[in-house]
Amino acid sequence: MISIKGLTKTYRIPQRTKNLFKDIFFRTYKEKKAIENVSLTIDGNELVGFIGPNGAGKTTTLKILSGILYPTSGYVNVFGFTPFEKKREFLRQIAFIMGHKNQLLWELPATDSFRLNKEIYEVDDKTYKITLDELTELLDAENLIHQPVKTLSLGQRMRVELIAALLHRPKILFLDEPTIGLDIFAQTTIIDFIKEYQERYKSTIILTSHYMQDVERLAKRLIMINHGKIIFDGLLRNLVNTYSQQKLINITLLKPLSKEFEPPEKIRIHYQFPQLQITTHKENIVGVLAYMLKKVEFVDVTIEDEPLEDVIKKMFVHH
Amino acid sequence: MKRNLKIFWLLSTYSAKTALQHRVGMISFVAGKMIRFVFYVLFIYFLVSKTRFLAGYSLQQTIIFFLTFNFLDTLAQLLFREVYRFRPLIVSGEFDNVLVKPYHPFIRVLIGGVDIMDAITIVPYLAFLLYFVLKIPHLNAINAVLYGGFLINGLLLATAFHILILAVGILTTEVDNTIMMYRDFTKMLSLPIDIYKEPFRSFLMFVIPVGIMMAVPVKILFGLLTPNMVIITIMISIVFTLISFFTWNRALKRYQSWGG
Repeated sequence: MISIKGLTKTYRIPQRTKNLFKDIFFRTYKEKKAIENVSLTIDGNELVGFIGPNGAGKTTTLKILSGILYPTSGYVNVFGFTPFEKKREFLRQIAFIMGHKNQLLWELPATDSFRLNKEIYEVDDKTYKITLDELTELLDAENLIHQPVKTLSLGQRMRVELIAALLHRPKILFLDEPTIGLDIFAQTTIIDFIKEYQERYKSTIILTSHYMQDVERLAKRLIMINHGKIIFDGLLRNLVNTYSQQKLINITLLKPLSKEFEPPEKIRIHYQFPQLQITTHKENIVGVLAYMLKKVEFVDVTIEDEPLEDVIKKMFVHH
Repeated sequence: MKRNLKIFWLLSTYSAKTALQHRVGMISFVAGKMIRFVFYVLFIYFLVSKTRFLAGYSLQQTIIFFLTFNFLDTLAQLLFREVYRFRPLIVSGEFDNVLVKPYHPFIRVLIGGVDIMDAITIVPYLAFLLYFVLKIPHLNAINAVLYGGFLINGLLLATAFHILILAVGILTTEVDNTIMMYRDFTKMLSLPIDIYKEPFRSFLMFVIPVGIMMAVPVKILFGLLTPNMVIITIMISIVFTLISFFTWNRALKRYQSWGG
């Protein structure tokens, strides 16, 4: 289990003035709280989406949980270990994958990095072979691992990066924007893989991503952080039920709207024949729908929840 | 230990593989080092042949100072080449990838693997050094053993210096200038320390103990160091090493992991 209580991390940021002499010899610092009094628990075998705008404190939290950063104050316990002590038994159980950073030997084939990790994590020959075969198959990377890393595209490199990070079958996975900069195909491959990996190895995974589709597809539980404070921690479903007040009605029309058509009150309409999209408060949905079905001729009607991204955007604006 | 050696071996192999991909660069590097070495030997020769003695040392003794410096300096570069590549890791935040692995970070950022190019250049330095040391008239066996011991002490001090440079790198993201300062100070010890006036000589010996690294082993070889001085130098080495480890641990606590 991962447990955090009252966790705070403060960065010291040097302040620049117009006086170079003062900047060099009498520099002043501003303290910025990257995370403030954060508390949460995550059970084993859970996959949690951790989201927030840039600078919200997501990566800082992950870095404290993995022992990279030393917390300013608070209690952190990850599966019985204090991360910053960097005990070998702890580090052998975790993997930290950063979408915008590279852990592979740049000029050499990925297999060389795999061999190095095998020794670092003390993986025996048999487990190494089985895991490598499994991961390369799951990620369809058989042809990539023998090429110098510098010749791989970003999407290919991320697949190989995942293999390198998971060869020791970590119990806890910190995934920081693993799909950043990837095209839709590469994104799908990575997301499918994470899902499959979690089901197969029962790992605890904390995922940060700017792409809501990633989080929506993978995580049941969502933790939202803004300005270093947790503003929501719960099931994704509850977030939508509680905070989404809007519904979308999509109507595919048979004929264009007549000039006499008058929309009902308190709705927003987006119309481009044959598509008519209506946004309304969820309490009005029955009335609006009944009215529209009487007034227009249509081919198809669908009702959708407000997009998750919009719900989340609104939440961040209010916090 | 066995595991660490295995990792060290792998990193050295990969370092060699990478270096061999840039053959022209590799040849130029080794050739450049050799040319610099030859020119410096000629410089010492001309310097001492005109005056006979340099700060009381003969040509042969001066050359031993120079070769001891070269041997230790190259050995330090051979073992600690990764320190020269540390800044990009800190600036980009890729040092994070080192910190989450279950080994001591020094295996990767301090030692990292033998640099094959320095491994090539150290062979002639060592051969010349042995040749000149063995040519010392009436070489005292105890002094020779102590010389070996203080070479190891010099290497330990070089390790402490490099750890300190890494720590400064973490605290300030500055590595290149710190390492150049270190190299400039050690380079001053390619000639006998006695050519420098006080208090600068003491500064080199006791404050930034490059003198203990480079000059003390040779002085012991020539039987020029008192037992008191030997004890003081050992104590300074221990204190300096402790300071470097303390600074490293402090730096790790203050590491800010730049680059998102």
